[in-house]
Amino acid sequence: MMILTQTPAISAIVKRWLGKMLMVICLPMALAGLPAHADSQINAATEVISKMIGEVETYLATDPGDVARRTQNIARLFDTHFDLEGIARFSAGPYWRAATDQERITYIQTMRDVMVGTVVRNFDQLSGLNFTTIDSQAKGDKMVLVRGTFNDASGKRPPISVGWRVITPSAAPAKVLDIEIENISMLVTQKQENIAIIRKNGGQFSALIEAMKSRQQSH
Amino acid sequence: MLTSTDRIARQAHFLPLVAMLFLVACSSVPETERTDPRDPFEASNRKAFAFNMAVDTYLLEPAASGYRKTMPLAGRRAVDNHIDWIGLPATTFNSTLQGRFENAGLSAIHFTINSLTLGLIDLTEDPKAVKEQDFGQTLASFDVPEGNYLMVPLLGPNTSRSLTGRFVDTVTNPVSFLKAGDSIETMQSLRTPVAVVAQRANLFEPFNDVKYNSLDPYARTRSLYYQGRAGRINATIGKPTDNRATNDQFESFLESSK
Repeated sequence: MMILTQTPAISAIVKRWLGKMLMVICLPMALAGLPAHADSQINAATEVISKMIGEVETYLATDPGDVARRTQNIARLFDTHFDLEGIARFSAGPYWRAATDQERITYIQTMRDVMVGTVVRNFDQLSGLNFTTIDSQAKGDKMVLVRGTFNDASGKRPPISVGWRVITPSAAPAKVLDIEIENISMLVTQKQENIAIIRKNGGQFSALIEAMKSRQQSH
Repeated sequence: MLTSTDRIARQAHFLPLVAMLFLVACSSVPETERTDPRDPFEASNRKAFAFNMAVDTYLLEPAASGYRKTMPLAGRRAVDNHIDWIGLPATTFNSTLQGRFENAGLSAIHFTINSLTLGLIDLTEDPKAVKEQDFGQTLASFDVPEGNYLMVPLLGPNTSRSLTGRFVDTVTNPVSFLKAGDSIETMQSLRTPVAVVAQRANLFEPFNDVKYNSLDPYARTRSLYYQGRAGRINATIGKPTDNRATNDQFESFLESSK
């Protein structure tokens, strides 16, 4: 081997051959690693959705119709399974960077309260719906789209196609970032509405917070 | 021979377009003041939206509420079936233009079979097998740019491309020109108002949620329209469940979070 590598032409051939061998050995290992990571991502995302749906079913089954209790349950659901900071950053768009720390904290809290309030107001509509997972697809190495259908047990309402965008960081639990209903992203819709409000108010982030608080108080 | 009522009814189709052109001619918002770059006529669009909301408040919402309360489920299903059936010739026409011959054939078969009941009862095994196609989608499949956002009085949200598509679909629909006796003509003249009320009734809660609970119902409607339309366009070019514009936004968000 030593003699062979001393001749430049032969050395080049040997290097190329070794390079190819390394490719042959390493490529399958690298490729094998990718599906394994994607699988663990998908499992984490599917698990968080099924756990959350299970909790909602429990709340519905034991619901006393009391608004305070519903609010408490739904707030716990959001705090546990949703990436509230990610939702806030995404929905504020480019204005997140310009917001002060205090504005960011107030915005996250107000946005959480608005989301909880919306679900509580529409809580009765969740009754009788069953969720069936169709598939889960990794979207890059940090997000999974879990798709499924809500079917009405009574058959009065048509099936609703739903997608959950779940963030799957390697060092933190998977959390829901977005809900897509019939291919319409709730978070993108909220972001575009928020940006419209901030722009209408001369780029003032505080105007969005005020508008949210005022809408919340009107309910 | 067309009666004067027929003529008025047909010209009425174009009234929203005339009104929209008038509003668009009024003003264009400078780029720095737009709340969405796709909406250069935002000021006039917002006026048209306010008009549409007033029409909804005083006419459509009460009518849709009454329709939901009084019309039995079977009747509502029959109306929905008829509305779907009326759209089938446009689907056949546009699927053929797009080269989606299987969908074109299926929609033609469904139209023929259900014409036995004027589309009121669906006699086919799988009504969802036909993928509804309009001329706006056909234009998109030929890479025609979607143009600006336009809120049209009485017709609602559109882009220049989808509005052109609506116009072409209206004038090319053979059912509009069918002459088959008084009862059919009465049905034809009632179809549009009934379809509007039925669709408002079908979307009663989500529509009211946008109308009464949004921070900016105009901006929310625009976003919902664009995303819903993107879903349909993606379905035309073969990606039925993948909203690419939305995915792009999430990908760039995750990139910026690194």
